[in-house]
Amino acid sequence: MKSAKKSKLWRNVKNARYIYLLIFPAIVFYIIFNYIPMYGVRIAFQDFFPRLGISGSPSVGWDNFRYIFAQTEFWRAFRNTLVISLCRIALSFVFSVGTALILNEIRMRRFKKLAQTVFTFPHFLSWVIIAGFVNNLFMNTGVINNLVALFGGNRIDFLRNKGFFFGLLMFTEIWKEAGWGSIVYLATMAGIDAELYDAAEIDGASRFRRIVSVTLPGIRSTAVLLLILSTGSILTSGFDQIFNLYNPLVYEIADILDTYIYRTTFGTAQASNPGYGAAVGLFKSVVSCALVLLVDRIAKLTGERGII
Amino acid sequence: MSRIRTASRNRITKTDRILFAVLLVGLLLIIYPFYNALCISFSTEQAYLSTPFMLFPSEWTFDSYITVFSDKSLWSGYKITLILVVAGTACQLFFTVITGYAMSRPKWPGKNIVMNFILITMFFSGGLIPYYYLINNLGLYNSILVMIIPGAIDTYNMLLIRNYFQNLPFALEESAKIDGANDLVILWKIFLPLATPMLATIGLFFAIGNWNQWYNAMLFIDSQSLKPLQLVLRELIVTNTAGFNPSPIGRPSFSEGLKMASIFFTIVPVMCIYPFIQRFFVKGLVVGAIKG
Repeated sequence: MKSAKKSKLWRNVKNARYIYLLIFPAIVFYIIFNYIPMYGVRIAFQDFFPRLGISGSPSVGWDNFRYIFAQTEFWRAFRNTLVISLCRIALSFVFSVGTALILNEIRMRRFKKLAQTVFTFPHFLSWVIIAGFVNNLFMNTGVINNLVALFGGNRIDFLRNKGFFFGLLMFTEIWKEAGWGSIVYLATMAGIDAELYDAAEIDGASRFRRIVSVTLPGIRSTAVLLLILSTGSILTSGFDQIFNLYNPLVYEIADILDTYIYRTTFGTAQASNPGYGAAVGLFKSVVSCALVLLVDRIAKLTGERGII
Repeated sequence: MSRIRTASRNRITKTDRILFAVLLVGLLLIIYPFYNALCISFSTEQAYLSTPFMLFPSEWTFDSYITVFSDKSLWSGYKITLILVVAGTACQLFFTVITGYAMSRPKWPGKNIVMNFILITMFFSGGLIPYYYLINNLGLYNSILVMIIPGAIDTYNMLLIRNYFQNLPFALEESAKIDGANDLVILWKIFLPLATPMLATIGLFFAIGNWNQWYNAMLFIDSQSLKPLQLVLRELIVTNTAGFNPSPIGRPSFSEGLKMASIFFTIVPVMCIYPFIQRFFVKGLVVGAIKG
């Protein structure tokens, strides 16, 4: 009996030999680029010397964590990450849905196509290029300051101004991504049963009323799913944007965990021990993972489709 | 009933005009930075300083473009980026597809273990510092491979491909198996031809990702000759840590003009191709979000 089972397994394995051949590179890939770095989180518990490697560097227990948790800059970065991400998610949601609603309602076919093409284009540009545009528009002799001067105001250094920088982050994010974000909602709206609109119209619903009572409920589940998915990136998104736009004068409101890790490891604020950066990274990973699991749980409890 | 409906739907109302106006403002907001940059790139410094809104350059010049076109680092960046777009995209498509195909096959011994092994990596990562030392230990520092290999398998797109293959009719595969085809033949002869539109979309996403990459290069590339276009551009226009070669025509250069000219130097190819490939992106995104 037992040997029969074994031989059946063996037969299945043999039948799948080409599948193993195809999956083999992936296993090697994930071990090297994902699992070895996971083992590498040991650096977070070490006084790490690259020369000695992970196995040779002295362990320091939780010292690195004690150190970073005592840094005001760490908590500042943590706070900024949360604030920037949450505002980003909320605003992107509003503007993506808004763009989709307008595109859905507009009747000029050609114009709609053109608008959609133009709105989605910035998504495909890197933040390097967007930063080039932003620097140009908001610099001292740039268009925005020329406009300010025209109305008799004093020229403002927007990019180095704590009060304006946050708004700039949100504006550029919307500028770049709202059109792209609207596509999913547009597709969902296209799938809403036309009879619902007809029925609403017969009942005397105004155009606005139809949007509120038919369109918005129609995109609800897509919206919830996308919002759940976006929680996974609360602590990780935004590096490219901020890294290309920020400067020391706005660290107070713009320094996020990823930029903080970068600077403490390679950049201007380089710490003596790479273990500090690794500790922040591990903290970020653990909190991120917990957030995803938590949100998935909540979603399932409220009857929505989860992600796991 | 339908008569009433068409009548009411064909009338252009005040709401339509407002919607049109809002959309028009949105369009202008998106287009203006490009337009402004284009004008500056063709303008002289004097014209730039004397026309605050630059709706049209009062004094035309190609000086900025002449300097940009004679800049070696930008051309070398172009070369590297084209290599990345071709080699990187091919590599990503190949490994992502074979993995997605293997994961789409009905139960084979160990499949669940491998699936979990892959999914875990989506939720937890080692972080930047271990990754940094790993790359150094692998000897990938300052090698062009560092911009290709670490991205070879994209888990999200791998799962999309897997779902796509899973939804293809099972009978196709069964009949091929009866004819004696093995899994490799089935992938090559049956599944890949059927998945061409899907692969085109994913390939385009990979290509754009490769075109836009600079982060790995910033961390790991030292030689100027190996820097991809976006990193070269970043050093020229964002961090200002690199300068343009002096202008070959000997006139003093206008730095904003040079920056904007170099932006156009790098985005014109994307702008030209984009209108034609846009529909692939839209399709791919919708498939990914709704089925994924």
